[in-house]
Amino acid sequence: MGASNTAPDRPILAVDGLSVSYGHVQALRNASITIGSGEIVVLLGANGAGKTTLMESILGIHTPHSGSISFDGTDITRVPADRNVRSGISLVPEGRGIFSSMTVLDNLLLGAHHNLQESPARLDRVFHWFPVLRERQQQMAGTLSGGERRMLAIGRALMSRPRLILIDEPSIGLAPKIVNDIFAIIADLNAEGYAILLSEQNAYKALKTSNRGYVLETGRVVLEGASAELLDDPGIKAAYVGA
Amino acid sequence: MEVFIAQFMNGLSLGSIYVLLVTGFNLLLLVAMIIHFSYPQVVVFSMYISWVALRFTNNSIVVGVVAGIVSAIALNVVLAPLFQQVMRKRGHVDINATMVISLAIGMIITDILSHEFNSGFPIAFPENVRGDEELFGFGLIHISRGQVLSLLVGVVVVSAFFWLLYRTKYGRAFRAIAEDPDNARLVGIPIFQTGLLSYALTGLLGGLTAVLLSVLLGSASPGLGEAVAHKVLAVSIIAGLGNLVGGLVIGLALGILEAMVQGFITGTWSNAIAFVVLLVVILARPRGVFGMKL
Repeated sequence: MGASNTAPDRPILAVDGLSVSYGHVQALRNASITIGSGEIVVLLGANGAGKTTLMESILGIHTPHSGSISFDGTDITRVPADRNVRSGISLVPEGRGIFSSMTVLDNLLLGAHHNLQESPARLDRVFHWFPVLRERQQQMAGTLSGGERRMLAIGRALMSRPRLILIDEPSIGLAPKIVNDIFAIIADLNAEGYAILLSEQNAYKALKTSNRGYVLETGRVVLEGASAELLDDPGIKAAYVGA
Repeated sequence: MEVFIAQFMNGLSLGSIYVLLVTGFNLLLLVAMIIHFSYPQVVVFSMYISWVALRFTNNSIVVGVVAGIVSAIALNVVLAPLFQQVMRKRGHVDINATMVISLAIGMIITDILSHEFNSGFPIAFPENVRGDEELFGFGLIHISRGQVLSLLVGVVVVSAFFWLLYRTKYGRAFRAIAEDPDNARLVGIPIFQTGLLSYALTGLLGGLTAVLLSVLLGSASPGLGEAVAHKVLAVSIIAGLGNLVGGLVIGLALGILEAMVQGFITGTWSNAIAFVVLLVVILARPRGVFGMKL
């Protein structure tokens, strides 16, 4: 985790001055972030700060009313989600991100909707990361434990040949031991070359694992910096790390 | 006993028509997220198109069949933007709005059929299309070509449909959207194109049903679609809205029930009795016999 203190020279993702509203509620205000191609970047913030909105906007779910998003040098500001998934962004949604009445295998293959011909090789990789999913591939996803569901959601995100993976609250609702496993896997994935954007409310583990971080409050980026520095910031400590 | 067997066969062939229709209805409900209860009227419209095509080609069966299928697909796909547009304008999936559109489509179709085709009189399909010729008989049991055909096609089409649903990427996308459309979008499933595909597929199912109805009934009238539409909606609700397997069982059961009533009770009580039974069942199982899948 060679911490680079400044934003990367050639980002894989650049969000510039993004504003997004739901009706009259402004969820993002002039938010700007960048992610380098080898980086893990974390978004910190309380519930409702705009983390999920930012991730979903990057994926192409919401239409921003101003600002721009570019992925690997190409403008994707108004490109719909299915095309962004095809070109290499995938999202691990928070909490309920799996299809419980479908089998584990079907859930994984859904991730490969656009590149099904290479799914056998992709499945092998995913089963290498998550051996438990190989054992349970014919089981209904609804029968999995909380930790296994997270693994399934991450595995599915890997099926689409991503270069950037957005992971919304990877640790939420999981036992500490499982949280450690998930973060270890995130670090390993990053070492394999995937750029990763995480969002977290519980900041300690996330800052330990990431290169840089941004703090969101009511839709604005209020602080940014290297994760090591953010970890020492007294305000961050009080607000997000706890104890 | 002979009456029972004869009516059982009648019921199966009628039931397979209900199964095809309710499968199309449920597919639209699950994937396109619309309540299209006038879908059987679209199917009857295709019967009329097929009838016109037969008249202009000196009763060429190939042209009649192709016209029925192609017109059903075309009609379904042409109506898709109407449904989609209303949903988009209203911000989110609004199933009530889709019912109003469907109702309007049904009324327009019924009116067009009563004014523009055969002066509103029922149409009769030519001899070579009608399937009432007997394939084999035994006492009171007469098995006609149309009955065998509708049962066979019903089994083949429904099997192919389930194969598509559980063994192909489009079927997987259908099931994902049916379970959780927002999540399907997050995973990268193209919601609009997949929805459009479900309209086309429902059109194909509808076209095949139109052909089978022409063969089985040998005639059609402007009111046929509405009469069938009530039953298809009832079957879907009784089985559990959106429950495909449930629709299969209840569709066949309704066909058999109607045929039995016709076989053993004098007078035309089959509709009334069928709906009384359906009412009792829905009172006992408000979410449907097999459970809703919405």
